Amino acid sequence: MSATPAVSVNHLTKVFKGHLGKGAFRAVHDVSLTVEAGEVYGLIGPNGSGKSTTMKAILGLIKPTEGDTSIFGIPSMEVASRRSVGFLPENPYFYKHLNGRETLHFYGKLCGMAGDQLKSRTEEMLALTGLEDAATRRVGGYSKGMLQRLGLAQALIHEPQLLILDEPTAGVDPSGSRIIRDLIIEFRSRGITVLVTSHLLEQMQEVCDRVGIMAHGRMVREGRLEDLIAVENQTELVFENASPDLLAKIDALVKAEGGGTRLLRSGHPRTTLERLFIEATNEPKKP
Amino acid sequence: MSNASSSSAPASVTPVRFSPRRVWTLAYATMTQLMRMKILPFLLLFCALVAAMGFGFSVINPEQQLTQFKTMSLGVLQVFSIVFGIVATALLLPKDLEDRTLYTILSKPVPRFDYVLGKLLGVLMLIASGLVIIDAVLSFILWLQQSMLFNAAVAQLHTENQDSPEAVAQMREIVARQGLTWNLHWAVWAIFLKASVVTTVALLLSCIASSTLFTIVITFCITIIGHGHAMIREFVFQPNLGSTATRISTFVLAAICPDLAQFDVVDSVANGEIVPWAAVYEMTGIAALYITVYLFVTHLVFVEKEL
Repeated sequence: MSATPAVSVNHLTKVFKGHLGKGAFRAVHDVSLTVEAGEVYGLIGPNGSGKSTTMKAILGLIKPTEGDTSIFGIPSMEVASRRSVGFLPENPYFYKHLNGRETLHFYGKLCGMAGDQLKSRTEEMLALTGLEDAATRRVGGYSKGMLQRLGLAQALIHEPQLLILDEPTAGVDPSGSRIIRDLIIEFRSRGITVLVTSHLLEQMQEVCDRVGIMAHGRMVREGRLEDLIAVENQTELVFENASPDLLAKIDALVKAEGGGTRLLRSGHPRTTLERLFIEATNEPKKP
Repeated sequence: MSNASSSSAPASVTPVRFSPRRVWTLAYATMTQLMRMKILPFLLLFCALVAAMGFGFSVINPEQQLTQFKTMSLGVLQVFSIVFGIVATALLLPKDLEDRTLYTILSKPVPRFDYVLGKLLGVLMLIASGLVIIDAVLSFILWLQQSMLFNAAVAQLHTENQDSPEAVAQMREIVARQGLTWNLHWAVWAIFLKASVVTTVALLLSCIASSTLFTIVITFCITIIGHGHAMIREFVFQPNLGSTATRISTFVLAAICPDLAQFDVVDSVANGEIVPWAAVYEMTGIAALYITVYLFVTHLVFVEKEL
């Protein structure tokens, strides 16, 4: 792993100025997070919690009111920071008059690619996202799942080290959603850092190494997923082939029983990410 | 929450520089995007209209007929190019933002200046392509009409037994002056320059405003004001007219709006007057200056725009 974090957000605050009598709106308040190179980081939170604003700040699409963000050590406001990033926005649309292959050529050219390098990379991305058969079809006729996969392909076209995915499974059917989940796991195996937001907490639990939970523009929880979902004041005992009697006299039997009964694991039982999310985001709003 | 270091030293990086190739990629995509908005059928309709106009006027005399044809067709061409430039430009940025295409483009190593320049060039390339096609159609019809009118006039002179070589030569000169000359192309060039300036103004306004309708309405207002720029200047520099506040606001208006009357050569061309090279250079220079200034301001606005 590289010493420089893939993403660094330091005390980010974003206030949108009010227009025509409307007051200013603080979308993000003093958020800090670090995404280490090679990990999958999930940023979750209810609608309006500041996730997209944080992502936009990381991508240099908006200027922080306070704090700073950087990508592999390069400040996000510098265009050069985008050399190592691929971004998939929520519900992306592409130029409808282009077909899948032309769309990837367009984005590749924007990244300075050309010739055989662009052609071979395009074919590689079409194969990776399973769009080879639809490569010559106009994007206007793509389904939502295909658009998301094309979005992933364009995000990866210039071989970025970091992928930022905003709701990559939004509006996609379960099988399409699973394909995207599998792709995220594959990106991790290829050493690509992934920063992802999603409302599908079960999937986030499956793919993320670390998560940050945002609510009301603040980071309310952050850390390794395994640590976050551990319930600290409870102990879990997992038995194999335990009888009802054994369960009734659990403490004594564990020590006394032999044979086929074994204590497999002891530690803290896990809650689900979904429960943690509901608990964290329902905490009273800080002033 | 992680204890991220608040003072990570920026890595040494090569900055992303302006790239003509990237701008061309964006311009070409913009042009094809607009062509898909059913612009071509509209262009063909316009050509058919021009062709119909060429033969639709009643024959008063050859000179008047050719003048009427040029006045009408160049006038319609001017309106077409300005309306197209304003509407297409006003739609482009909000559409890219709404479709989030702007996010996918600007999250690549694409400087914002390259993006706005690509968008502008895309619109201008399409206007230029349209004008070249229409110019070719217009030239052909004018040449055809010129030949037909000359033959008809000579036949008339012959019938009246007035077809002396001098009379025929005079008729040839009259028809040639009002017929197909380089002046027609300069008029089309002036129309392109005017449309380019107006398009750049529309681009600037679409970066400031979030509403397409607002951009269209205000750019049309600026276009109308731009045609009366001389009157505004006259008002500003007349010490006895209006209050100081009115004069200051008028001065600001004059500074903001381009002087579009600088490109009005259509009437002169229609009347058979020769457009001197100096005037062509001057128009081109003025347009280049306006476009540079408006584009620079557009860049300043767009680079700060929150997306």
